[in-house]
Amino acid sequence: MIGEIMAGDHYLPGIAIICVAIVILMTTFFREYDDLHRLILTGCSEVVALCIIAFLATDLAEALILPGLVVSLAELVALSEIYINKEGLGLVPAPDRTIEVFSSAPPIIAAILVIYGIVLSGFTGGAVAGVGLLFYYLCLDHKERFALLETVSGYAWVLWVFAFFIFMMLPAYWFFAVMMAGSAIFVKVTIKLALIGTMKPDQLLEETDHV
Amino acid sequence: MFDLPIEGPALFSIPFGDIVDYASPYTLILFLFAALFTALAILSRPEQHADIIFGEDGVYTGRIPGPENRFQRFMAIACGLAAMGATVSGDIFNFCIFTSMVGLTCIGIVASSGNRHVLNAAFEYGIVTMIAMIPLFGGAAIVAATTGTLSIWELAGGAIAVPFVAKAFLVLGVMGEGMAPFYVAKAEITRAQGAPYILMIHVSSLLIFLRIIEIIITI
Repeated sequence: MIGEIMAGDHYLPGIAIICVAIVILMTTFFREYDDLHRLILTGCSEVVALCIIAFLATDLAEALILPGLVVSLAELVALSEIYINKEGLGLVPAPDRTIEVFSSAPPIIAAILVIYGIVLSGFTGGAVAGVGLLFYYLCLDHKERFALLETVSGYAWVLWVFAFFIFMMLPAYWFFAVMMAGSAIFVKVTIKLALIGTMKPDQLLEETDHV
Repeated sequence: MFDLPIEGPALFSIPFGDIVDYASPYTLILFLFAALFTALAILSRPEQHADIIFGEDGVYTGRIPGPENRFQRFMAIACGLAAMGATVSGDIFNFCIFTSMVGLTCIGIVASSGNRHVLNAAFEYGIVTMIAMIPLFGGAAIVAATTGTLSIWELAGGAIAVPFVAKAFLVLGVMGEGMAPFYVAKAEITRAQGAPYILMIHVSSLLIFLRIIEIIITI
């Protein structure tokens, strides 16, 4: 049925293996009745879907996997949230974490990571600095203003997009655009990661209570 | 090159490399439908509703407090936007992404009700949409692997043969993603609060069905 193959030589064997995987997956879906297990199995089905794309083995496949992954992760998160609500599950309150390291280490480690992140800049730097802030917020108390952080993050994102317009419209100013995009994505990724650190279990518990 | 019997002539086209976004009379009508219902979802105010008392001459008025309805409205508008994208996309993979976005937002609309039975139905539907992603993305990937392009414009008219398997996979995938109305009927939330938003589920799934039929006939 499949005529001339544009993808690599190993495309057909790969597809054959994927077919076996799909058969196994469907069998498990027919045999499994526990909702949580079925939720996990859907995660496996996402991997299978991404594998089929990956067998293209070209640059295009890479560009297609990312949006596919994002959409499937979003669905998985939504389903997990539904499962939690449907079963009436809440978070178990975390035990008191009075460990000495958690009070002394965060400023030092966060400072090192943030400074190193600024040196790296760009997406990687943002991730590194974000991990530093995440650790800091997780361990110590925080009184930050979410609205302000979100606003800064939003403006950083706009700057990032604006930099791409400069790439397309005024290619002569590429260095300026690179600097702008690098710092903007740094700020954005840092704030997004840091926000995760501020979500402590007790706050999550409050959120789930009134649902 | 695009004057096909089902499509009609291309009204306009915007080329991005080999991907060409186009509008034919068919897709334009679908797009306008999606736009109309998105506007309805934006404008309607189901928080303030009136229930007629059956057999009598009276009316209950009610007001629903809340964040629940705001979330449903947001999801309905997002669902409309995704349906609009799916109807005008000139790229098979973009169509697949928009279709799965429709599926995702449909889960959101259904699940924003706090009722346990509705949540059960939403969970089952969500599992079906996730499994449907295998044939959906698999179909798109097989099209890319066998023809070397994802552009509907390039594939139109049968100049390049698209394997039957790929078309069947795409239809199967859209069937899984657009299956929401069955679960909505099962959940009996069409009568519940926020019913105008439930309408969006039906419209979007109808539109993506019509669009996939057009795609598999065109390519």
